[in-house]
Amino acid sequence: MNKPTVGIFGLTGCAGDQLVILNCEDRLLDLVALIDVREFLMASSENDTACALDVALVEGAVVSQRDADRLRAIRQRAKILVALGTCAVWGGVAAMDRGADRRKLLEEVYGETGLSYDSQPAQALHEVVKVDLNITGCPIEKDHFVTAIANLLNGDAPVYPSYPVCTECRMQENNCLLMERGELCCGPITAAGCKARCPDLRVPCVGCRGPVSDANPESLTAMLVEKGFDRQLIAARLRTFALQGAAQ
Amino acid sequence: MSKIVIDHLARVEGHGGITVEVDGDTVGNVQFDVFEGARLLEPLVRGKRYDEVAPVLSRICSICSVAHTLTSLKATENAFAVRVSPQTELLRELLFRGESIESHALHLFLLAVPDYLNYPSAIALSADKPAVVLLGLRLKKLGNLIQETIGGRAIHPVNAVPGGFGKAPVIEQLIELRSALMQGVSDSDAAMDLMTTLPQVDFCHCDTVYAALRTPSQDSYYSGDEVMAVSDGSRAIVHATDYKALTNERAMPHSHAKHSAFREKPFMVGSLARLTVNPRRLIGKLAVAKKRLKLQLPADNPMDNNKAQALELISDVERALEIIEQLLRAGIKDEPPVPVQPRAATGTAITEAPRGLLIHSYTYDAEGRITAADVITPTALNAASMEMHFRKAVEQSAERDDATLSRKLQMIARAYDPCISCSVHLLRRQ
Repeated sequence: MNKPTVGIFGLTGCAGDQLVILNCEDRLLDLVALIDVREFLMASSENDTACALDVALVEGAVVSQRDADRLRAIRQRAKILVALGTCAVWGGVAAMDRGADRRKLLEEVYGETGLSYDSQPAQALHEVVKVDLNITGCPIEKDHFVTAIANLLNGDAPVYPSYPVCTECRMQENNCLLMERGELCCGPITAAGCKARCPDLRVPCVGCRGPVSDANPESLTAMLVEKGFDRQLIAARLRTFALQGAAQ
Repeated sequence: MSKIVIDHLARVEGHGGITVEVDGDTVGNVQFDVFEGARLLEPLVRGKRYDEVAPVLSRICSICSVAHTLTSLKATENAFAVRVSPQTELLRELLFRGESIESHALHLFLLAVPDYLNYPSAIALSADKPAVVLLGLRLKKLGNLIQETIGGRAIHPVNAVPGGFGKAPVIEQLIELRSALMQGVSDSDAAMDLMTTLPQVDFCHCDTVYAALRTPSQDSYYSGDEVMAVSDGSRAIVHATDYKALTNERAMPHSHAKHSAFREKPFMVGSLARLTVNPRRLIGKLAVAKKRLKLQLPADNPMDNNKAQALELISDVERALEIIEQLLRAGIKDEPPVPVQPRAATGTAITEAPRGLLIHSYTYDAEGRITAADVITPTALNAASMEMHFRKAVEQSAERDDATLSRKLQMIARAYDPCISCSVHLLRRQ
């Protein structure tokens, strides 16, 4: 059997999802033996930048014309395009306030020079091209990545939790930060898969994995307002990692 | 007039390139191009409550996410005059060491060493020399284990919060870390052995100014408030609150990273700068290793940063072990974070990220909402110095063909271990 050709790409982001791949230390050499990595600029200086790809793994958000052009070119080459991480799936932190006047922000940070920069409001990959599989997380979980590769090699689509962080948190018998300590925890609307890492450490969930599929931000907002939190603060918190997390 | 253009640097974090104009033996314009998209996180973070700032600004960069998180917390705590416990100080320093071990192992073994041995990647290298790559991966994993145990996650730590930690590690976890670090002692020695077998490369020689956190009384990446700049024969000290005297940043049309100069001279930050500013770190085993590497300080060759990273791998493992012993001796306590009382104030923090000086400076209102954030990263600080070394390398090269010059430029760029995602996020203009 021919090994599937794979490209690993980063648009604008922190490179954390590519780093998760490199962090599969024990399994990295076995993993790359099963696939034919043709392009991985962060790890290799020998890249085939034009070949057809069975799988393209793309992290980061689209925040420039350059990103959008690269993404479209990757899409054309790839049979399966996988969005890796919260920025690629939801837009991530760069998209938290998309309504802000971008020219003003650029000028504020870079002065007049900034006005000439190639820059546009942050978008998730699916807003620019068709995405075949989403692996969310900021960063993605190592096991989710390894499972995805194993599944794709077998021609299956991986399945990820469709329940909220609260479910995983309860299974670990943690005290509820939201109900019992009155902390602003995004667990009820955030997609599980992290084993409730933050609340398990008594730190409220910040929603870094994006909303769970049947998220109900309105009811969480109502509950938090009842607990005395400011509506604006709640909305800002809920859209920090995924714009769509906040009640409209 | 011809141009050497490296469109997209490989084996570095983020998106950058190099352009050098050459006219015979004369070098014209030299540019380290940063075309990583601007995420504008500093203005976007405005209005956030003090406990929301670190999780957002951590996302500036994955490889330095511990440094960003802890520097952010230190800036916030400085603004609110919060004093964390001695245990928190130790755990934070340990977390910094974990990140440094991971980052240096990643850079040396997966990004830099393939250059010296003429391989395009560590994956290609692993086919011929699996032991070398596996050694690097073991060290990398050790750094990640420290970050997971103390920070709760290897990338974007979640356990470090204003005032301390969500939950302290338990004794069993520290003992497990200690065992892993024991293996790390021999692995970091083996990394040193490998470094001594690599060919000496010197593509340029020139006087370089080095800047690093000055920590005279102890070896620390996290505590300390003074930066020392050292150039041949002269020294200058800048206090954290005067950091703008050090940076004097300018926005450049070719780059989304602003450039820094100190007294009109570019300066270099990172491992080599840390060892130059704090030479007293190099005692015992490290002094021997320095000799074996034929490393002279202050160095006039930027490629020596790779040697300095190998030395730091040894010292990071040693320091992490010391900290764990201290924590075990004192008895680790499950202490809650120190309560934070917000006030209208400005707080600045300077630390040593794996790639060098990292500065976060924030202004808060009375409710503890952030009104202004400045972040200055090591790669942005290094941008002007990189360009200076690119220029010298092209000027001093006997070989004039594009392929050789291009290879030299890429190796110098990688020796700086640039983190381009980081470099994009810079301070507000005054």
